[in-house]
Amino acid sequence: MAEQTIINMVNEVFIDSFEIPADKLVPEANIFNDLGLDSLDIVDLVVALQKKFAVAIRDDERVRTIRTLGDIYNFIQLIKTEGNK
Amino acid sequence: MKRYNDIVVGSGISGLTLTLLLAMNGRKVLLLEKAPHIGGSLIRFYKEGVPLDTGFHFTGGFSSGGILADMLYVLGISDSVQPIFLPNSEANRFVFEQDGAVYDMPFGIDNCCAALCKYFPDESAAINEYFARVKKVYQSTVTFDLRKLSLSVEPIEEDYISLEQLLSSLTANANLKGLLSACCLCFGVPPKEVSFANYARVAVGLYESVARIKNGGEAFIRAFRERFAQFDVDILCNASITECTDVSNDIVGEFVLDNGDVMRADNCIFTIHPQEVLKILPREHLSKAFVDRVSSFENSNGFFSCFGVVKNADPLAFGPSIVSLLPCADLNTLLDPRYAGRAALGVMRSAEEAGDKTHCVITAFEPEFFSNIQQWADSSVGMRPAAYTEYKKRKTEEIARRVGNLYPQYREGFSVLDAASLLTFRDYLFSPEGNAYGIKQKMGQFNLFGKLPLVNLYVAGQSAVLPGVVGSMLSSFIVARSLIGKDKCNYFIEGRLSR
Repeated sequence: MAEQTIINMVNEVFIDSFEIPADKLVPEANIFNDLGLDSLDIVDLVVALQKKFAVAIRDDERVRTIRTLGDIYNFIQLIKTEGNK
Repeated sequence: MKRYNDIVVGSGISGLTLTLLLAMNGRKVLLLEKAPHIGGSLIRFYKEGVPLDTGFHFTGGFSSGGILADMLYVLGISDSVQPIFLPNSEANRFVFEQDGAVYDMPFGIDNCCAALCKYFPDESAAINEYFARVKKVYQSTVTFDLRKLSLSVEPIEEDYISLEQLLSSLTANANLKGLLSACCLCFGVPPKEVSFANYARVAVGLYESVARIKNGGEAFIRAFRERFAQFDVDILCNASITECTDVSNDIVGEFVLDNGDVMRADNCIFTIHPQEVLKILPREHLSKAFVDRVSSFENSNGFFSCFGVVKNADPLAFGPSIVSLLPCADLNTLLDPRYAGRAALGVMRSAEEAGDKTHCVITAFEPEFFSNIQQWADSSVGMRPAAYTEYKKRKTEEIARRVGNLYPQYREGFSVLDAASLLTFRDYLFSPEGNAYGIKQKMGQFNLFGKLPLVNLYVAGQSAVLPGVVGSMLSSFIVARSLIGKDKCNYFIEGRLSR
């Protein structure tokens, strides 16, 4: 999947599902401090990303290390690549 | 305006458990129930003096050291809730109607394994491997030890394999697969949609032992009522929350009831269906992602149930037993709402005391899906259309016929005292579609459990961790631990268990 497509689709999740303004969506934005999500939102974020990208995201260590929007772009890229193997 | 530490919404087994746990820890609790009486599907009702069970017929988990026995002990109600174990031989029978094969399953996980190896000698490697995997899941599920409760549990490999995938990797024998996935009928999710781990967590209790309770679910209700009287518990029936108000910093201050009364509470815990929870939460405080997640949960099946009695039978020869009639061996088919063939049927036999009489009771339940009765969804109790009455009569007659074929010796004296469709269950128990197990707990799904986006609101119940009495109670223990505080709760549980 092209990198820019992933970025756009992840951003759409934040705009549509969490009502976060598009101009805040930069790779270095911290999803907690800058975008205002809390730990309870993470489950909803994971479910929304699963649906958007038609992937299964396990509740694993990699999810728990996500801090920035850029981390999410990379994470999705990774599981999309894994899924295509 | 009344003030509480905690409001518990819904008085099924989960709400009852949570209320008592919180009250035992010194909190002032209000228990709210929408129906006229507490107990949900634990409630017994009487027809012609015969005690009949609404929705709770049997449970696993009662073996010594079992999680259910431990939970009852902590709650101080183990003396009042007495198991009547199904005997080890010929009390748990599976009949495959397609080829007439009959399998009697004993209790005890090693006995089950041995019995199946005898029935399917060529498949013994697969059978041994299956039970080894079931045991592995059980041993890696820390939550089954009350001393190690936790809201966040590390998932295991088996959480990401469906029961179907696991069974297909082990065997191609249709009847064996059918037997090993038969507990899906006690879970409400077909083999291809349930994770092997969650299936095993429910099945292990049912493999070890199956018990009825003396006096049915009513025994639970009575025991809880007696305990509530010793603590600071208020119960309000015919009542529900319509609105959460006075919200600041994502904390709800006031709860408006349907009669207009306003209650204040530090916390509120919902043990009701997730979609009913969603209706009460203030929308402006929820993300669309949260609403989408909860709205996407599917409902589990319910059961069309017939409640009958055998007049001329000897109660002493009417020991408790369950027969599962399976028209085909594939549980995916039998639990598919689009399946139009003959349904599976569970037939529970037991002798039940009421006053000084013992009655020979037969309850038969058939998985049913809301889509089949959708056309009458707008009707209410006492106001059903003729076509619905005809549907109910037809179903009841067919079930009575199947019971008669199963037990020719009872055919003469058997009569159906009452029947309940999904609409009946919906309208008496306030489950959205009369579903028996809340939402379907599918593989990879994130259930609603624990803290909600509003930080003093929580969710427990049968849709949270695992379906059934054990899973529902467990969810309440875990949420109670969050509310009471980890250390205090551990100390409390440890203290109770070591008494």
